[in-house]
Amino acid sequence: MNKKELMNNKYFIAALFLLPAVIFSLVYLIIPIPLSTYYSFFKWDGIGAMEFLGLDNWSKLLSDPIFWSSMANNFKLVLISLVVQIPIALFLAVLLTRKIKGASFFKTIFFVPMLLSSIAVAFLWRYMYDPTFGLINSFLNLVGLEQLTRSWLGNSDIAFYSASAPIQWRFIPLYMIIFMAAISNIPKQLYEAAEIDGANNWQSFFYVTLPMLRSTVVNASVLIIVGSLKYFAMIFALTGGGPNHASELMATYLYTKSFTEMNMGYGSTISVALFLVALIVSVVFLNFSKKDVRN
Amino acid sequence: MKKFSILSLALLMVFSLFSVTVMAQDEVNLTLWDIRTASDQVTPALQDAIERFEADNPNVNIEHVPTQNDNYKTKLRTAMSADNAPDLFMTWGSASLERYVDADKVYSLESHMTEDWESNFMPAAMDLGRVNGELYGVPVTNVSPALVWYRTDLFEEYGLEVPETYEELKNVVKTFKENGITPFALANKNKWTGSMYFMYLVDRIGGPEALQQAISRKGAFNDKPFIEAGRRIQELVEMGAFPDGVNGLDEDAGQSRTLLYTDRAAMYLMGSWAYSSFKNEAPDMLDQFSFFNFPAVESGKGDPSNLVGTPGDNYYSVSTKAANKEAAVEFLKYLTDSKMGEELINIGNIPPFTGVAEKIDDPIMKKIYNSSQEANHIQLWYDQTLPLELAQVHLNTTQALFGMEITPEEAANQMEEAAQEYYGE
Repeated sequence: MNKKELMNNKYFIAALFLLPAVIFSLVYLIIPIPLSTYYSFFKWDGIGAMEFLGLDNWSKLLSDPIFWSSMANNFKLVLISLVVQIPIALFLAVLLTRKIKGASFFKTIFFVPMLLSSIAVAFLWRYMYDPTFGLINSFLNLVGLEQLTRSWLGNSDIAFYSASAPIQWRFIPLYMIIFMAAISNIPKQLYEAAEIDGANNWQSFFYVTLPMLRSTVVNASVLIIVGSLKYFAMIFALTGGGPNHASELMATYLYTKSFTEMNMGYGSTISVALFLVALIVSVVFLNFSKKDVRN
Repeated sequence: MKKFSILSLALLMVFSLFSVTVMAQDEVNLTLWDIRTASDQVTPALQDAIERFEADNPNVNIEHVPTQNDNYKTKLRTAMSADNAPDLFMTWGSASLERYVDADKVYSLESHMTEDWESNFMPAAMDLGRVNGELYGVPVTNVSPALVWYRTDLFEEYGLEVPETYEELKNVVKTFKENGITPFALANKNKWTGSMYFMYLVDRIGGPEALQQAISRKGAFNDKPFIEAGRRIQELVEMGAFPDGVNGLDEDAGQSRTLLYTDRAAMYLMGSWAYSSFKNEAPDMLDQFSFFNFPAVESGKGDPSNLVGTPGDNYYSVSTKAANKEAAVEFLKYLTDSKMGEELINIGNIPPFTGVAEKIDDPIMKKIYNSSQEANHIQLWYDQTLPLELAQVHLNTTQALFGMEITPEEAANQMEEAAQEYYGE
């Protein structure tokens, strides 16, 4: 094949354009997975000599209560996010796609949390949660609900839930926008037909909008599940996984182990475990929802 | 224009060639590695010391190679293991220096330690430059002990005296609590903040030996002083000595000091850097702040003059590879002389040198300097003294103590277990 022929071959051209993306994802996304697996068999501080441990890190992981409680927290976060984010985002999306006054104004307002950086949001909420000067406790005092004031982030029983709240607040707009796009793609005729059949607003929502959004809701759920399983930023900034690991997630725990305690081997073990958990859960979920669609 | 620049470049190269050959004949070149980059406050003082030294020793040339803090550690470690050590280098003393001494990379300064030079340093600061009783590094910067800062006006208002014993401290705590003021401002999300109470209580109860013996494994981390320290922390927690939800407050966000500035808290156990925070954040309240040493515990072994903190930072050493060790040691003397001390004080950094007291104008800084001088022993922070793995266990168990989530015995036993695992017992 001469040069000219090669340049006319559309597969070659396509491969050429795909190359940068392939190299990027290989180096930064694909190769690190087997590499982390390799590190998980060693005791390593990231710089010095590596000491082979065999499966020691893995057996340690299985009997590590903090790892299990952090995984439980991850699943709690998945559940909370699914229950809170999808319905609220759906509600807002339906509301804003109707021809109500000031829809674009509210669209902008509701989208603001998404534009802020996670750390900025975390600091905002940190000050709101301040037990003495914070907005939340001050408000409760103001309306005479002193008995409800709490040290929101310092109390081990509620720290995890307090730290989960800003995550919901920040990500609802993302799904709101996704749902709004999907709703605007639903053909108008369907609603007209429903109207002729005498469907009220609720019925047209449950029998037209919701079924048409099915695949979007499934996709959003996968995003939420995977995102919650590997979540890190705001929990780290708000509580650092504390107090006493009460709000620890797998990702914050792996960060502490790898970069605070410089135990890269064990940190890699946790990261591979996190990867496996997220992989299994999302594959299982996708399979179930696919079967459902076919039926 | 282009021709001209090429010509000048060529000339420059020829000249530099000459200068190198000239130098090789009778000049001494010393390489100095440290973290004094352009943004470091101490850099001008160091450069001045280099200039003064070079002026007095015209045949010696010091090549200063600064590297940013975190990269520096890696760079030094790599160079040391590759046998490429610079003539002069900086460490943080203690474990960071010991590693290189054990590998025979550091030149012992013992034979150069004249009485005159030795008396220049605060004894507590020298300890961290010693390995197996021999001196390998001299401290240059930053004495910053943890002290109990307090609002003098609030103490006056409630007719309280500075507590000298733990019992008196409990009385102070009680009085403030009764008057709706949080006795101690503390933000313990960060963990090292609460650790200060633990370290001081261990010292006051068991003396500095308690920790030393636990580390050398002649004692244990579940010995009485550690359990007792945990018990007293929880006693204070139960009395309401700390803010609500103390483990959720963030020191980096200033959630502790805000309580002090708004008259809601009266005391604050913190490193001497708290004084610069006060200066920045509440300059008009500066005269309402002072500090006292952590009170003594009755029947405890620790001397109340003992401090916990950084007794001295940035230890400068000579490597065994240095061609001209005499000149290198001579430079260390310039780096630790009274002129250097003066310049450090001017930027608000208390050097670990003796006899600089009269040069300090600020009364609080002078008081910090004096208590450091008078200290019998300055205990380096646990999270820097202990190996990383143990340091984390210490920080986590101490935070749990503040949260009443663990008993003092459990905390001490967890620490001892981790120590046994680490030391391979």
